Amino acid sequence: MSWDKFWKASSVKHYPGKMEVEKYVYTPGIHGLEMAKALKEGRILGMRCGDTVYVPPRTFCPDGERGELVDVTDEEWIVAAFTVITRDMYGNPVEPQVVALVRPIDAEGGLFHYINAEPDEVWIGMRVRPVFRPEGERRGLITDIRYFEPA
Amino acid sequence: MREVMGVRMNLHVKDRVAVVGAGITLFRRRLLETPRELAWEAAKMALDNAGLTLADIDCVVIGTAPDAFDGIHFNGEYLADGAGGYGKPTVRVYVGGGTGVFVPIAAWWHVASGLCNTVLAVAEEKMSPAHPHPQGVFAYIWDPVLERPLGPNLIWIFAMEMRRYMHRCGATKEDIALVSVKNKRNALDHPAAQAAANITVEDVLNSETLVWPVNRLDISPVSDGAAALILAREREARRITDTPIWVEGIGWSLDNTHWYNRELGYPRYVQYAARMAYRMAGIERPWKEIDVAEPYDPFDYKELHHIEGLMLARPCEAPELLKEGWFDRDGELPTSPSGGLLGVGNPIAAAGLMKAAEIFWQLRYEAGRRQAKKPVHKGVAQAWGDLMQVGTVIVMSN
Repeated sequence: MSWDKFWKASSVKHYPGKMEVEKYVYTPGIHGLEMAKALKEGRILGMRCGDTVYVPPRTFCPDGERGELVDVTDEEWIVAAFTVITRDMYGNPVEPQVVALVRPIDAEGGLFHYINAEPDEVWIGMRVRPVFRPEGERRGLITDIRYFEPA
Repeated sequence: MREVMGVRMNLHVKDRVAVVGAGITLFRRRLLETPRELAWEAAKMALDNAGLTLADIDCVVIGTAPDAFDGIHFNGEYLADGAGGYGKPTVRVYVGGGTGVFVPIAAWWHVASGLCNTVLAVAEEKMSPAHPHPQGVFAYIWDPVLERPLGPNLIWIFAMEMRRYMHRCGATKEDIALVSVKNKRNALDHPAAQAAANITVEDVLNSETLVWPVNRLDISPVSDGAAALILAREREARRITDTPIWVEGIGWSLDNTHWYNRELGYPRYVQYAARMAYRMAGIERPWKEIDVAEPYDPFDYKELHHIEGLMLARPCEAPELLKEGWFDRDGELPTSPSGGLLGVGNPIAAAGLMKAAEIFWQLRYEAGRRQAKKPVHKGVAQAWGDLMQVGTVIVMSN
């Protein structure tokens, strides 16, 4: 029997439930902690595995060996894919925001971040660079980078 | 041991494995039945279809995606008695969205190893309990340092992947929308379908934009439902039915779990999984040898993506072939003749198993009005999931 036609869940016979764990406390991990410290200092870290640098750093390389932390010194990054957010998760309209996968030119991987540009100005292959928040506002999170802006 | 795409694989199986029965419940936005009851309905239908009872079943494999959808922790264990797992060796397998096809894969090795003669494979998902929206569950797949502070949601990734695919292949929104049109039309003939409709490309383009370039009609719905298959070794299978459908190959593969390190425009993980399955099935030219396919289509671009990953078309060739009608039910290589996730619905794990069940019905010529026009001998079903990087593939023949 389908209860499809009832748009509001509360209009059908139901039993409310709630998972009692309301909050999780995550540890950042070995290299996650280093990355968090670096972000606070206005740097981005990568991980050297043989000849390749991976961004973001993880403790282990694809081949299972331990990686070595290095600074990512690329001035310019490249937009590999992007989208435009116009609604939040519940469908409420929000200011259009470009979100992109940006890759450093000389490294593998990349980061997921906001682009400070109008949606129609962004294209795949566009060069961008990170803009950090002022020192006092950084909290050791990815949002310490305010956004990437066209280079 | 033989090496397949870098995967060492032992191809010596003790028993040949066949699918001998299938069952499915309605797929709907909200069903009265509990997860356990849904599992039972699908299992019962599969048993009846094969002319068996629970007493004939040796082992049970259960599949269900995150517990958080049903809102019941240890959901596999909770489902077990509905799925007939009571008093038998029972296991739950889980690879996110790929679970649906992973269930028959796990059932296959239960039988192929010689451990069990008959296996009941059941997949269930009830997404309606999660409020305000089951999407919320996906807020917890992100890295707490690097991603979560940006407030990402799941569709962002798909939007970027779709954009990347369009860029790489020069595909347009219109090309991609045709998948949704085809699948929702195919689903009109599926008795369990939730989102069957006769729509046009314009309807897709004019539906509201969720995350550009993804519109509402580009996406499969949220669903409740269950599906089941019965697998048996050759000797039992021939006793149970005159028309067993053979499982010829299975494959699964994980790509990099860091999605920045993947090429978003091509599903390498599906290709690896497909190569493993084709190798086992002795298929060298899948684009010629496969007669009917059920590629995973939670989003319309994903079907094109996966057709290419399954090597049923060259990379970037799928949109053009789709336009020519190649993948229609009366085309050269029908894809998602069931109506897929876009048309039938997407109760995560059950949707993948529905795809495997459709290949079973197609190869038995039991798909009714959904039956492919051309003669069918070999079919492939595929699912995709986890952190968007697992491919699961099963190849069957009649």
